[in-house]
Amino acid sequence: MIIVLLNLLLAATFVLVFALPGPRRRAYPRRVAVRFWHMWTGEWKDVVDRIAQRFNESQEKYELIALSVPGATADSKFLLAVAGGDPPDCMAQWNQVIPAWADKGVLVPLDTLMSTDEWKDFQATAYPVALKIGSYKGHLYGVTTGLNIWACYYRPDHLRAAGLDPDRFPADLDGLWAWGEKLTRTDAEGNLTRLGFLPAWYQMFVPVFGGSFYDEQTGAVAVEQTGAVTINTPANLRALTWLADKRAELGYKKVVRFISSLNTGGFSTEWPFISGQYSITVDGQWRVEQLAKYAPDLEYRTAPIPPPSGGKAHAGWSNGNFMIIPTGARQVAGAWEFIKFWSGLEQPERAAEFYTWGGWLPLSDKIAKAPEYRKYLAKFPQFKTFLDVLPSENIQVSPPVPYQVFLMDMISRADDFAMRGTKTPGQALEDLEREVAQEVAKRKRSGQ
Amino acid sequence: MRDNRIGYAFISPWLFGFLVFTAFPFIASIYLSFCRYDIISPPVWVGWANYEELLGNDPRFWKALWNTVSYACVALPLCIATAFALSLLLNLEVRGMSVYRTVFFLPYIIPTVATSVVFVWVLNPQIGLINGLLGKLGVHGPNWLNDTNWAMRSLILMSVWGVGGSVIIYLAGLKDIPISLYEAAVVDGAGAWQRTRHITFPMMTPVIFFNLIMGLIGAFQYFTQAFMMTNGGPEDSTLFYALYLFYRAWRYLDMGYASAMAWVLFVIVTVVTVIVFRTHSKWVHYGA
Repeated sequence: MIIVLLNLLLAATFVLVFALPGPRRRAYPRRVAVRFWHMWTGEWKDVVDRIAQRFNESQEKYELIALSVPGATADSKFLLAVAGGDPPDCMAQWNQVIPAWADKGVLVPLDTLMSTDEWKDFQATAYPVALKIGSYKGHLYGVTTGLNIWACYYRPDHLRAAGLDPDRFPADLDGLWAWGEKLTRTDAEGNLTRLGFLPAWYQMFVPVFGGSFYDEQTGAVAVEQTGAVTINTPANLRALTWLADKRAELGYKKVVRFISSLNTGGFSTEWPFISGQYSITVDGQWRVEQLAKYAPDLEYRTAPIPPPSGGKAHAGWSNGNFMIIPTGARQVAGAWEFIKFWSGLEQPERAAEFYTWGGWLPLSDKIAKAPEYRKYLAKFPQFKTFLDVLPSENIQVSPPVPYQVFLMDMISRADDFAMRGTKTPGQALEDLEREVAQEVAKRKRSGQ
Repeated sequence: MRDNRIGYAFISPWLFGFLVFTAFPFIASIYLSFCRYDIISPPVWVGWANYEELLGNDPRFWKALWNTVSYACVALPLCIATAFALSLLLNLEVRGMSVYRTVFFLPYIIPTVATSVVFVWVLNPQIGLINGLLGKLGVHGPNWLNDTNWAMRSLILMSVWGVGGSVIIYLAGLKDIPISLYEAAVVDGAGAWQRTRHITFPMMTPVIFFNLIMGLIGAFQYFTQAFMMTNGGPEDSTLFYALYLFYRAWRYLDMGYASAMAWVLFVIVTVVTVIVFRTHSKWVHYGA
């Protein structure tokens, strides 16, 4: 009996395996396939699929085949594909990979795919931050399809309840802190239940205080070619000291406990701003789109991060999604067609719509001025704050050095030490300088 | 060899996989540990530079090693003791024992990633289950995973969750002890504790030894929970050796350095295992 049952189970498995649909058939099998990898899942993947479909509908020669390669393994999969000689034709990646991969010769310089006039036009029209992030040692390796800018989101209902006027958002950082103090709430035991404003994220506040990890004038980086480290500058120290002081006022442990308790599982609906656990918070422009979707009735406004005394207005840090073409790609021309299509290098008016689908900031002013984008801004006036900040020269990017990932990890680590009160801001920066200098020296010793 | 050709033919898929995906990378990593290698560019010979660097100039390497050794020293005895104690309880002749055994074994078969995600919530300082229970007892629970003093302890305590696999092995060992030994002891007037102390425990030492060796190797390769739950933080307090190795290899593309780390780990694990093996004649008893 058991043997009969096992055989039946086996037969059923076979039937099921063969009955299941195979890999999706190509919609345009006669066209040249362009293989595109990206890192989006869920609601974002749907947007990418829509853009891919629009590209395919616009084409006669190429068919784009989009594949979601999410998670921490995307980088390694890409590198192994390149090393194995079978990379995708293009990939959407976070900008952080550009310096390291460009330095290793893994990426095709995209300016070499442009005519001289196209390259000049790109340099003249792309937002400075898009050019800065996408470039490495004078060449363009990534074209953005969505930049990220951070600004303050605030809840007028909380403000009014605390006797503050939402129409008079503070013009300086200390004013914002004072508002935060009035908005913060605790329970009977002194535990935080709502944070009025949490000053956090060192790399975001360094430009606000007029500091930098990177010297654009000399082309030198935080760790200069000589090996001299220049992270512990007065402005950088001022930024970390201010953040650490404010954290101490709130209570190091209380804040850590409160943040740990927040439901930040990564889902859009779980944003603590929606649930009212933050009254004012610094976040990215994509939240506008998410708020429209998941909390359409929530009243909120946005404003640029106000500078401290002696700091810089419309300042902050930026990153974004960038399209890259790996060396060894079989369909470089097809990949380039797709990049131009999505980014808006070709027909910016058409591409403007794609940017609005994901709530992304555009590559250039041409796209921002396109009717579709204007319509989006009229629908979501809160989005305008981010677009206003985007062209600012005070927006900084991560230093374009091959060890950028390491550098940014170490900066976050120093930030963490200072925010927990384990190290003084000065000590945290001194240690950071030493660690980064050691890494640079190590790279030099091994011939990198 | 000729007589076994058919046998080799049958195991050839496994042999092929072993040679290509295990033996070759294993051998290649020796060479790579003496190179600068980033996966994409060809390896460049740098001699002992990677070893000198990590042993002489990398405080995070020592921090990661210290964290891993600390974890092994505490979690391993804790797990062995807990699993052994549980197996003694689950060896009793009690009604519904198979249900209890299943319950204790279940956590072992739940994927580590899923367990880690659940424990992030269980250990949440404000809305977590553990602190909720502690709160009912009037105890203000710690910020388990986000406190430098508690993060490692949390992972150590969590390691007990997965002892189900060892429990099954101990149970099998307990079933293997000849009943005649207990009968003789009872005739001689030995009580329950004396039977456990002088029969069960000595007879179980080969199983304890096996679990000790496997646990030791596992502890030195501890990765998933730290990667999922703490990412090495806070302040490097849970930066385990394997985690740091992973970051060096895949995040910083420092594959040569990571290979050197892997070989240092291999040597450490080998030395510790040999030391444990050397001691086993003094405390492991085979046969009745």
